[in-house]
Amino acid sequence: MTGLASWTARRLLLGAAQTAAVVLLVFALTEALPGDAAVALAGDQPDPERIAAVRKALDLDRPAHERLLEWAGGLLHGDFGTSLASGRPVSTYLTGGFGPTLLLASLTLVLLVPAGVGLGVLAARHEGRFTDRLVSSVTLGVYAVPEFAFGVLLTTVFALRLGWLPPTAVGYGTDLLAHPSALVLPVLVLLSRPVCSLARLVRAGMIDALASPYVAQARRHGVTGARLRYGHALPNAIAPAAQQLARTVDWLLCGVIVVEALYVIPGLGTVLMNAVAERDVPVVQGLAVVFGVTAVVLNLGADLVVRRFAPRAEVAA
Amino acid sequence: MNAVAEIRDLRVEVDGRALVDGVSLRVTAGKVTALVGASGSGKTTTGLALLGEYPAGARVTGEVRLPGGPAGYVPQHPGTALNPARRVGALLRDIARTRVRALPRRERRAAAHQRVLRALSLAQLPDPEAVLRRYPHQLSGGQQQRVVLAQALLLGARLVVADEPTTGQDALTKQRIVDRFAAVARQGIAVVLLSHDLDVVRALADEVLVLRDGRVVESGPVDRLWPAPRRLRTAEPPATDGPAELPAVHGPADRTGLPGAGREVLRVGGLTARHGRTTVLRTSALTLRAGECLAVVGRSGSGKTTLARCLAGLHRGHDGELLLDGAPLPRSLRDRTRAQLAAVQYVFQDARAAFDEHRPVLAQVARTAVRLRGAAEADALAEAVSTVTGLGLTERQVRRRPAQLSGGELQRAALTRALLARPRVLICDEITSGLDTVTRRGILDTLAGLLRDRRGLSLVLITHDLGTAAALATRIAVLDGGEVVEEGPARRVLTSPEHPFTASLLETSTRMT
Repeated sequence: MTGLASWTARRLLLGAAQTAAVVLLVFALTEALPGDAAVALAGDQPDPERIAAVRKALDLDRPAHERLLEWAGGLLHGDFGTSLASGRPVSTYLTGGFGPTLLLASLTLVLLVPAGVGLGVLAARHEGRFTDRLVSSVTLGVYAVPEFAFGVLLTTVFALRLGWLPPTAVGYGTDLLAHPSALVLPVLVLLSRPVCSLARLVRAGMIDALASPYVAQARRHGVTGARLRYGHALPNAIAPAAQQLARTVDWLLCGVIVVEALYVIPGLGTVLMNAVAERDVPVVQGLAVVFGVTAVVLNLGADLVVRRFAPRAEVAA
Repeated sequence: MNAVAEIRDLRVEVDGRALVDGVSLRVTAGKVTALVGASGSGKTTTGLALLGEYPAGARVTGEVRLPGGPAGYVPQHPGTALNPARRVGALLRDIARTRVRALPRRERRAAAHQRVLRALSLAQLPDPEAVLRRYPHQLSGGQQQRVVLAQALLLGARLVVADEPTTGQDALTKQRIVDRFAAVARQGIAVVLLSHDLDVVRALADEVLVLRDGRVVESGPVDRLWPAPRRLRTAEPPATDGPAELPAVHGPADRTGLPGAGREVLRVGGLTARHGRTTVLRTSALTLRAGECLAVVGRSGSGKTTLARCLAGLHRGHDGELLLDGAPLPRSLRDRTRAQLAAVQYVFQDARAAFDEHRPVLAQVARTAVRLRGAAEADALAEAVSTVTGLGLTERQVRRRPAQLSGGELQRAALTRALLARPRVLICDEITSGLDTVTRRGILDTLAGLLRDRRGLSLVLITHDLGTAAALATRIAVLDGGEVVEEGPARRVLTSPEHPFTASLLETSTRMT
């Protein structure tokens, strides 16, 4: 397993470099935006003297690279810096927004995996027949609908017309778990497209696996039913699905801006939107670090899963 | 003797074409029944019928009875029957579980494990506990075959169908496979052997059925049918490999007269080749002279293909110096000029994989002349047609796509493709393994014809089979564990080998016949 350990270490090093690159890029792009935090704070009466004073108070008059270096130095000690807009530590923004995002992401994931895999296996089992055609066309159709449209549709029907569910999470704060009814619509919207892509990938992989000589061999030896499908065929269909799943989780954890905005959920996506609007560079950078690390770790995890289920790949590598 | 399986008047028809027509067969416990025939004779269809499996859309009449219970199956490539994503133990455990349902729940697990271990040791796998934890790709081909055999034993199968178990194996490995199936038969299990390898059939079988075009043309006990089944003997030339032919090395060996008569074409200085950090091949100087056929013989994993790939520029992880006509030849294909590329041509073992399945064969064959010699498209096509007909194919055949040609036909097309480059050195890497006896014989005759007719063409023949080497080679180099253990004129190596490994190769190839 030393090969695996060194491979993981190399991947993590590369991931750190990638995260640093993301942070640099985000910093450069935020700097390139017109205006800065001082302009944003100055509000509706942009008095040049007042802007200059605020700029001096916030240290924004110092060169960009000095500010970046100072911030990076703090990061090495676990200090994300302080918000320009409110003066609160950036870490409070991150922890505050992470709760709702994590809750939504985990709920979605818990429902996504069984639903996606189950639908995929079901369709593959009935390949070419009615069930398969139904599953395939419905998943393709739903996948084609963007989140915001689907969200608006669901809200209109279930919240506004029927009144079964609250239309948004306004007024519930960050403790969303106490109000499960507010979570139903966002989770449904988050689920809609990932379920479809996962089901379609699993279906394709399962059709190949079910037609393979090794599944025929297992069938010949009296292994049938669910054990054959889930124990012997599915592991071969997992590799592509795992990578898709990592991308989905990454997307979920990095705050799905559209869904959070639509349902007014105070997650990371909302924090990001506000920070960009206020040119609050330290908060944006803090988020970039969190998103970068999340992406690196999730993809590493997916690659480890793929290695486990397609062990022959290590021979070629 | 009690029958464990019986087929009566089986007819399998796909799209109006009969794959198997009126085959009857009775298999008894502890006996080996061989179905012999060229590819396409209906062996595999009959064998799979014993497992209750038929090609898609087949119309089946006749009766298949299995009073002995379900049959086990060992496919030609056992690796394909093993799940790449699961450890070897996974399926074995699941099979064992179906056999211990009668026991109380808590004893099942231990009982199943015991059964698995017993089956693995019956299949002659040493250290079964370790094997259970491996993935299929971590096992050798022989171990994979034994694992698949263990699956059948675990099922309690009274009948095992083995499809071409020895194809593409060297003589020593073949001997081991024969021993393995003989041991299975001794346990009272019936074995149905599907094979075109007459040596193996003779060593193993009790009863033989000769199939041609889906019909049984001859059948009976092996002793009565040998020295060779009449139908095979009369209709087809005997196998080239065999001790009867070993001493009689004539033709190619005598053609060049004194060894070393031709001009030196290719010279390899001392060469050490690596895969990653492991050294896989170490040779002293080797020379190839014009008009000569150098056979490189060795078991799988001995480094013979690596040597061929070094010569062809396909493997650059080596430090040897290659000289073509005295001029240095770059290590990598990418650095060679067109003339140098044309001079050293390679024909691969798997001809089907060497062709693009979507384009007609002829177009692909003619391309060599255009790319490497700058010939005009029309001239190239004309030359391709004349060369390919010279090698025994028709123009109509090569105008088709690769899927419509047989393995042997494609191998001839692949040879043509290499010849259109007008090479000085033609490297043939196991180009006859995986073909049946008749086809193999034909290809070897073609190669001998090339050596005779094309002055200045030299052949490097990579093979695991001393018989193949004996039929063509002027000189033989024997490789073992990445070292050249013996090298010399073919006749000398075959008649008085100096190295014990060569002797053991000769001995097993004699015993197999």
